[in-house]
Amino acid sequence: MSVLSPSMGTRRRSPSFGAAGLVAPATIYVGVGLLIPLAILFRYSLNRFVPGQFMVDALTLENYVKFFTDTYYTGVLWRTVRVAIVTTAFCVVMGFPLAYVLARTRSRYKNLLIMLVVLPLFVGNAVRAAGWMVAFGNRGLVNASLVGAGLIQQPIEIMFTETAVIVGIIAVNLPFMVLTLQSVIEGIDRAVEEAAFNLGASPIHMARRVLLPLAMPGILAGTILTFILAMNAYATPVLLGGPRFQMMGPLVYNQFVQQNNWPFGGAIAFILMIATLVLTLASSLLVQSRYRHAAG
Amino acid sequence: MARLELIDLSKRYGEHAVVKGVTLDVAEGEFLVLLGPSGCGKTTTLRMIAGFVEPSGGTARIGGIDVTYLPPWRRNTGMVFQSYALFPHMTVMENVAFGLEMRKLPKGEIAARAREALRLVRLDAFAERLPRQLSGGQQQRVALARALAIRPAVLLLDEPLSNLDAKLREEVRIEIRELQRQLGLTTIMVTHDQEEALTVADRLVVMADGEIRQIGTQRDLYERPADRFVAGFVGRSIFLDGRIVEPGIFESAGGLRLHSASHVPPGPATLALRPERLSLEPERSLDNRLPGRVEFVSYLGAVLEAHVRLSPADRVVVQLPNRAGSAPSVGDEVEVGWSREAGLVFAGQERTGAVEERT
Repeated sequence: MSVLSPSMGTRRRSPSFGAAGLVAPATIYVGVGLLIPLAILFRYSLNRFVPGQFMVDALTLENYVKFFTDTYYTGVLWRTVRVAIVTTAFCVVMGFPLAYVLARTRSRYKNLLIMLVVLPLFVGNAVRAAGWMVAFGNRGLVNASLVGAGLIQQPIEIMFTETAVIVGIIAVNLPFMVLTLQSVIEGIDRAVEEAAFNLGASPIHMARRVLLPLAMPGILAGTILTFILAMNAYATPVLLGGPRFQMMGPLVYNQFVQQNNWPFGGAIAFILMIATLVLTLASSLLVQSRYRHAAG
Repeated sequence: MARLELIDLSKRYGEHAVVKGVTLDVAEGEFLVLLGPSGCGKTTTLRMIAGFVEPSGGTARIGGIDVTYLPPWRRNTGMVFQSYALFPHMTVMENVAFGLEMRKLPKGEIAARAREALRLVRLDAFAERLPRQLSGGQQQRVALARALAIRPAVLLLDEPLSNLDAKLREEVRIEIRELQRQLGLTTIMVTHDQEEALTVADRLVVMADGEIRQIGTQRDLYERPADRFVAGFVGRSIFLDGRIVEPGIFESAGGLRLHSASHVPPGPATLALRPERLSLEPERSLDNRLPGRVEFVSYLGAVLEAHVRLSPADRVVVQLPNRAGSAPSVGDEVEVGWSREAGLVFAGQERTGAVEERT
């Protein structure tokens, strides 16, 4: 220590200074890049839209009233929530076994397997959705194979349906779920599972009483992540859902860019954000009250 | 409480044999310890008994029933894991009751038996705590209570004391032994700590390289080790390399002619000596009396150890009681002696540390 210059040893710094320095860049970035635009957007959503005049300063809730009184818009919100719940459920059910195997494998190819899970993330949403369009079309891969195999006479309609959008969103979100779950399952001592087996628990009992409760923080985190991604999906519903299948993300974009109706677009954006927040909070409170011990 | 039989049990991973044909017969209520260095196959053997590892060959029987290919949840074994493996999201009581719930016992009986198991390990006051609110020693006792509550046919202990500090370890191993005796539990413990093994066992099994080297009581292993490995692993031995030149005469690499009581035929051999059987004030009647020079002395408190060179190639360690005024010092010319029965001769020469260390 004596090699260091004396000022190094004697200079006293308040301990919070270092912490503030570490936190500041991200905080400022979020503040400037997210909170300020959000505040502006919220202000816009209270303005009045007059065709021809673009936006008129006002303090009115009429944009929100318009959304909730028109069954078309409430229908879009309900459909978005439904799609998000269904895709998230599929992600949990399909992702958990895969994440479990990835977390527990002693194979030397483990890193390669994890890379394979991450690989889809290298392909952008839009590129992938374009691929799905080719596969789902009336003469696409799926229909051509089914007709060719003689399983169906007429091509079935997949493109521009809810099914196509759900399949597409699951494909996008599944890697996020798997990676989140895998890291949490890896943190669970394998011996704990063995202890359950040793005490007479079958694999099903072990999973229900030991593995799932201990993995609950990961399930919650993965669910929140994929649910938010699904609620806000844009490219997939636009490309696979087409103009007839509206979800909230594309709806916001339409109001801003095609209708030039910023106040209403702002209102829809806020409704989407609040709906996502409320549903996420509600589900995590529900889970935490059931598995209060596991979280700690 | 049941007899446990292993017949030619083995485990291979590909080409690599981890356990090579282990045969054991453990009587009802016996405490058997599997002792060996890491990688000797003792833990794999224990895990095959518990059902976590499927044997590549052989048979395992608990209470006369073939359990070789039964899944772990259909065998009635109670295991205490090295890491304790308590369920972190359950209270102490819930942990102990888990095995009883899996057996679908009536609620009242579950509560009564879990409480009784906790009383056995003196933790009944901690029933509502979570494992993380307990000390290491307390967690260890919860793990034991959890394994005892199901009244297992065989109790399995996988290095149960290795995470405790030295003082606690001594207390707990005696506690475990007393409980085991009181309940008459057939018990298999795995350890690499020979002192721990010697304290608790009825019989010990020394394993190396996936094989059983010797089975016997503490006295058997110490006084009559089956091979050079056991002589070095149980207690401490000094080895001299050399050859048997004629029956009863061992000639060391340094040219010393030593008397031995062994019946090993002439040829390359190793002589093993226990430091406490050697003396620096040999009586006239001793068979082997040799001059030497003290090269190193360790002061260990109750005993002293003198490293004495007998020839350019041969050095022995002599353990002496620490009596006032008798300490040798470095450079002293001394006479080392031992009886012909004190030296054990093993045919052939193994490299020192013949057991490969594997994790």
